[in-house]
Amino acid sequence: MTETVRATPDDATLVRIRGLTTVLGGKTIFDALDLDIPRGKITSIMGPSGTGKTTLLKHITGQMYADAGSIHVDGRNVAELSRDELYKLREGVGYLFQNSALLTDFDVFENVAFPLRQHTRLPEVLIRNLVLMKLQAVGLRGAARLMPNELSGGMARRVALARAIVFDPQLILYDEPFVGLDPVALNQVIKLILTLNRTLGITSVVVSHELAAVQRIADHVVLLSNGKVVAQGDPATIADDGSPWTRQFFGGEADGPIPFRYPAGDYATELGFAGAAK
Amino acid sequence: MNARAPQPRNVLTQSLAQIGACGLFLLTLLAAVPRSFRYLRETIRQLWFVGAMSLTIIMVCGLFVGMVLMLQLYHVLSIFGGTSASGMVVALSVYRELGPVVTALLFAGRAGTAVTAEIGLMRATDQISAMEMMAVDPVAYVATPRFLAGLIAMPLLSCVFCAMAIFGGHLVGVTWLGIDNGTFWSNMTAQVDVHTDIINGVLLKSLAFGAVVSLIAVFQGFTTPPTSEGVAYATTRTVVASSIAILALDFVLTAFLM
Repeated sequence: MTETVRATPDDATLVRIRGLTTVLGGKTIFDALDLDIPRGKITSIMGPSGTGKTTLLKHITGQMYADAGSIHVDGRNVAELSRDELYKLREGVGYLFQNSALLTDFDVFENVAFPLRQHTRLPEVLIRNLVLMKLQAVGLRGAARLMPNELSGGMARRVALARAIVFDPQLILYDEPFVGLDPVALNQVIKLILTLNRTLGITSVVVSHELAAVQRIADHVVLLSNGKVVAQGDPATIADDGSPWTRQFFGGEADGPIPFRYPAGDYATELGFAGAAK
Repeated sequence: MNARAPQPRNVLTQSLAQIGACGLFLLTLLAAVPRSFRYLRETIRQLWFVGAMSLTIIMVCGLFVGMVLMLQLYHVLSIFGGTSASGMVVALSVYRELGPVVTALLFAGRAGTAVTAEIGLMRATDQISAMEMMAVDPVAYVATPRFLAGLIAMPLLSCVFCAMAIFGGHLVGVTWLGIDNGTFWSNMTAQVDVHTDIINGVLLKSLAFGAVVSLIAVFQGFTTPPTSEGVAYATTRTVVASSIAILALDFVLTAFLM
């Protein structure tokens, strides 16, 4: 189902974001954000919690629309696509949810087969082989008949990954793929992301804030804060760029450009000591 | 579905906004009907859940409603020496009012809440978003099949309820209290009119109730905040809103159909 004829095949940028502005509930999430995601590479988007990393993925896939600015995926402006065109685009995009989002009514096999059954009329034997191939790729062929509630967190994420790649997408978006995994499961997921990118050339976007994992896989790191890109570059050197922001983020310091305290009014006034201060 | 309307302040405008949003949701549902024909298997599966799985409660309740109705009527009518008419009165009250209304109330409690909680949890666990990301329209795949299943199940359940109620009436009236079997049936068949009582009374009403209950259940599920508290409130709202809608609509329909 993946389109082989691309609008701009020479373009090294798969996702081009320009002037993206989003305001949610009075809070500015993105402030004229510009960002390019290179084709065939693993790009990691990092930033403190609440900077809108997941929101960015939702904008890219058209689950949510920005207030201003544009997002072009493979040359197509996401905001201007009709429902059918958007669904067509999504068939070529895999999305790994933070909590795996497996359909709880179906077993592992049927979860992976779900997109195939919905969008194709392939014979049952072909569906079966395709699903088993994808499950074999994530190492869970033997778990095909388990229900989602019988899986560990790491296994569920690998099943979700098998489901995301069942249509051989050209782009996979990983939303916090490393959260809550034990060291073994973490390494398994890292290995899978690398294998998918290196062998199939799938463009990958990994949203995460775990530097150690990101440094092992990413070709390109983008740091977001306060709705803007504050730094980007090579994962090995980005932590040493000398800015106070990166020093705090990667050093894990409690206070700094990312404030420890949520913005609030004057402390003494709120405690009723305003008079005493004078 | 993600965007939520700004919350108006007072209760009246809030309720009106809810009703408006519910109406718009109905249009979305109906627009998705042609697309949901692809998911016929899903509709049948839902019909099993909301229809077949509700049969036990509907049958047991129908039986007891018929029995108690006959018991009450027999004692009142015996004052006037009219006990032979009690079978007919049981049948008329069940067909015209109790059958569709009680079935709808039970249906809201048994099936409506299940649908709301299920869809609410699917939202909370990102299953609805996952479908959207797999280019499967969640309205056509999740909402419309459940709505259609409710629409089909309600008239059938109403018929079962009525049959069980008449059977209960017969059990108490004829078997226990000694009304003549022939009188019981002949009075009933003489007075019950297929058009007014069965088609308008049972089928049309229960079709309308089925649409309203299913719409409310699906709407509440889709618009609930994806938290455990949100799902709890939404389930409660399904029962409250459905009950009010059923009884109010019953009055309006009766006024027009009688």
